[in-house]
Amino acid sequence: MHDPRTSPAFLRGMTRSRSVSRRDAFRLAGLSAAGLALSACGVQGQQKAAPKPSEVADFWSGKQKNGKVVFANWPEYMPEDRGPLKKFQQETGIAFDYLEVIDENATFFGKAEPQFKAGQPLGYDIIVITNGMQFARMQALGYLVALDHKQLPNFAANAAPKYKNPAYDPDNTYSIPYTSGMTGIAYNTKYVKEPITSIQALFDPKYKGKVGMMADAQEIANYGLLALGITPEKSTKADWEKAAALLDKQREDGLVRKYFDQDYIDAVSKGDVWLTMGWSGDVFQRQLAGEPVAFAVPEEGGTIWTDNMMIPKGAANPVDALMLMDHLYKPEVAAELTEYIQYVTPVPAVKELLSTKAAGLKGEDKEALEAMIASPLVFPSEEDYAKLHGYVSPTEPAEQEAFQSMFQAVTQG
Amino acid sequence: MTETQAGTGEAMASPVAPQVPAIELDGVVKEYLANGEVVQAVKGVTLSIAEGEFFSLLGPSGCGKTTTMRMIAGFEDPSRGVVRLHGRDVTNVPPNRRDVNMVFQSYALFPHMNVWENVAFGLRRRKTPEAEIKRRVGETLEIVDLVGREKRRPREMSGGQQQRVALARALVNRPRALLLDEPLGALDLKLRQAMQIELKRIQREVGITFVYVTHDQSEALTMSDRIAVMHDGLVEQLASPREIYERPATAFVAGFIGTSNLIRGTVDRVESGNAVLALDEGGRVLVAEASHRAGDPITITVRPEKITISTEEPAGGLSAVRGTVSEVVYLGLYNSYAVRLADGAEVTVFQQNALDSSSTAERGDAVWLSWQPHHSYAIGS
Amino acid sequence: MRRVRATAAPYLLALPAWIWFGVFFVVPIAAMASVSLTTGNILEGFQQTFSVSNYAAAIGQYHTQMIRSLVYGGVATVIMLLLAYPMAYWIAFKGGRRKSMYLFLLLLPFFVSFVLRTISWGFLLADDGILFGPLKSAGLLPQGFHVLATEFAVIGGLVYNFLPFMVLPIYVALERVDPRVIEAAYDLYASRWAAFRRVVLPLSLPGVFAGVLMTFVPATADPVNARVLGGTGTTMIGNIIQTEYMTNNDYPTASALSFTLMAVLLVGIFVYARSLGTENVLEAAAR
Repeated sequence: MHDPRTSPAFLRGMTRSRSVSRRDAFRLAGLSAAGLALSACGVQGQQKAAPKPSEVADFWSGKQKNGKVVFANWPEYMPEDRGPLKKFQQETGIAFDYLEVIDENATFFGKAEPQFKAGQPLGYDIIVITNGMQFARMQALGYLVALDHKQLPNFAANAAPKYKNPAYDPDNTYSIPYTSGMTGIAYNTKYVKEPITSIQALFDPKYKGKVGMMADAQEIANYGLLALGITPEKSTKADWEKAAALLDKQREDGLVRKYFDQDYIDAVSKGDVWLTMGWSGDVFQRQLAGEPVAFAVPEEGGTIWTDNMMIPKGAANPVDALMLMDHLYKPEVAAELTEYIQYVTPVPAVKELLSTKAAGLKGEDKEALEAMIASPLVFPSEEDYAKLHGYVSPTEPAEQEAFQSMFQAVTQG
Repeated sequence: MTETQAGTGEAMASPVAPQVPAIELDGVVKEYLANGEVVQAVKGVTLSIAEGEFFSLLGPSGCGKTTTMRMIAGFEDPSRGVVRLHGRDVTNVPPNRRDVNMVFQSYALFPHMNVWENVAFGLRRRKTPEAEIKRRVGETLEIVDLVGREKRRPREMSGGQQQRVALARALVNRPRALLLDEPLGALDLKLRQAMQIELKRIQREVGITFVYVTHDQSEALTMSDRIAVMHDGLVEQLASPREIYERPATAFVAGFIGTSNLIRGTVDRVESGNAVLALDEGGRVLVAEASHRAGDPITITVRPEKITISTEEPAGGLSAVRGTVSEVVYLGLYNSYAVRLADGAEVTVFQQNALDSSSTAERGDAVWLSWQPHHSYAIGS
Repeated sequence: MRRVRATAAPYLLALPAWIWFGVFFVVPIAAMASVSLTTGNILEGFQQTFSVSNYAAAIGQYHTQMIRSLVYGGVATVIMLLLAYPMAYWIAFKGGRRKSMYLFLLLLPFFVSFVLRTISWGFLLADDGILFGPLKSAGLLPQGFHVLATEFAVIGGLVYNFLPFMVLPIYVALERVDPRVIEAAYDLYASRWAAFRRVVLPLSLPGVFAGVLMTFVPATADPVNARVLGGTGTTMIGNIIQTEYMTNNDYPTASALSFTLMAVLLVGIFVYARSLGTENVLEAAAR
């Protein structure tokens, strides 16, 4: 059992998915090596249209299970005892290799891209990537294997409808969700005495110098748009300009203390910032650890993101990969994952399974599990979902560039 | 009247009375703490060096001579005792305020400055007017024969030239005394001999007191007015080169300076002013000026070149000892003989090569050794 | 024939070094130069156009961050020099037999990874953390006082992270100064200050030069300190290059920025070497 008293939040804050890690230090070193792999005489784009069903069938026909699968995931995304994976091995005889090698979408893609381009396999059969610019690029550049949904019966049976056919991957052609989370406002209740309900709190002069925003262009753009009452998914370039201007003013007025990559959670729990854009799971962790942090999805709306499982092109064991992906959609397996990860599960049956489990527990374990089941951060209500928006996803290269440089000018000025 | 005035004038011209020594050490001790133990590098040195004197501190390494010099320069503070320069107590005065300059063993030239800048360094620190610096540096470079090399860097010069820069750098300040720490140690033999003469000439020219530290006895004998032979933190003997050589005060001095034969015995009788030592195998050793009485144990030294080697028994009035030639070494100017005495002791004899070399003894010959009574010199044991 | 072989030998011996230099320096630099002269984007591909427009665009867009990085790097280097020189001096001349222990202590924090070290500074310097919390409670600091997320924190982090690279070369240079030469200065009537100013300092300048090179260049290009300790308006050029490469996959801009940074640093170093050129400096020091 995952014991919150040992403060996993601290560990997560230091090491987990959305926090800075030592790997970042090697990023610049990676630049020159990756630069080498780029052919000196121009690289052709490889934009791909969505595959035809016949192509998908061709790819999968004759593919066999190899008895082996390599799963690349984010840190703290699998129980320490690797229970769900061991169960999979027992049931299928497929050996697994589980690697916690992804700690940022951009870093992971930045390093993998030259390999993809050169047609070399990454050495992973499953990778987990958030919906967003990198995922879109991988789809567009044909770096992903289209999934054979005939081999994903558990996904079909157990995934909630809202996790099927997402805008960022129509018909789940390339991916199925691993877990979801919300971007809302995290705040320190020691300093912020009123409950935060509105996104305007981030623009309130009384929190001058104590506001944290996210450095990621898609994350911050959503909040600029929502603050203006614009629906992100339907926004236009003109809307982006307005949002960027608003965010720029927020910065010029000295409201923003810092644009965070991932390390906002320590800052807000220590009180370096009083309120900040934040991710639901991080905050829930800190709450369990007894830290004075609260989380709100603003009434104007928040952002929902999803980390998705996918098969990179060149994967050696695609059938085994599909089997494992589907295995994780068995409700009891999904429940085990959710209990550990504490983000939002795409499998609704988990809630009831965990409630049954909680009824059989005692004392603090029971309290902790019940708190989790009751938490809208882990099991958001339909009302909460209604307020959640996807990222702005410009597809045209020129649009992408305009979008990024607009918001990066705010965060990196 | 005129004469009196002139006399007074002369006396006033030298503010320091001639009898005030340039350098005085009074019971100077230097102790170090090494591995928690007190080690005495200098165990109590008292000496005084006269104005204009060429004074050498001679001894093997570790004898305390360099430490003694560094206490004069001010780099080491004496643990006890007093250092005086021209009568002034400078025991606690830092080196930059002592009117003495040092020539270091490794020269310690400033590697980032050229010859001119090296030599001008001391004058600049004393805020000497630029015109005077120019004149004095020029003069000094002339003395050490380095005119035309002003712009050279030390590393571009030979050892001998660097040596002269080091000398000029010190001399240019016209110090009351110049301290030289093994200044010729790094030079080869020929250059060293040339520099010895050069140093002596310069010292005469400038008339400054030189304190010269060396372990090379021939260097000290050649150059010095007086020598202090140091051993184990103490001065064993302080005297003129001749006296040190001819009349070593201790066995250590006798052994350290040149080659020396030590003969031990007991005074048998005193005969016409000479003590006579009885030796087992007959023969005799006469010691002049001896204040010894019969029965006293005595050690005498006799220099190899004072001994005559012959096959016939020498006349009375000389020391006469029998032995067997065990080795003959031809050394050009002279031969060196090793003669084994009956009691097993070996005596070294230098015999100048005469025109007719037929008289020399061969290996295995039984010979007589003889020397004048005043060449036997009794030393403290 | 023999002669030919004899003259070729030194070049043959140097061959591994040349191969190393070629593979790990020339080829990457050439590849980067080539990439910086392409146009396009990740989705449509990059074409070699030999257009220098990337440079103009990159400099136009990011000159603020470029200048900021040079200022941060420069200020950090000056502070490091002021801190490192006395440290190196003390270890070299007063360290005695414990010299190696002091050097070890100096390097001890560097057994921890760069990023973790920087993150732990974030904990130390937290607004109400173990350092400022008590001072604020005691009323010694105003409640709003903070160091994190300011340029002081970034520069402080740079100083902390690169200090040993300044101390070590200066230490080595000072260690090599012959103590007899310093004694000679004292002997020639130099005060402690004059001996330092005229002898020790000029002789240690090569170490200072090396130290400045070894700290100014990485400090200016560093992305970690600005990211972890900085706030708004403290983004450095290293962060921009990272974003352009990793997030935007805009390889031409990232390469052009890297090259521009390299060129600016090289020019800076060249000017510095000329103005502080060893020979000239030494000549001047003797005046």
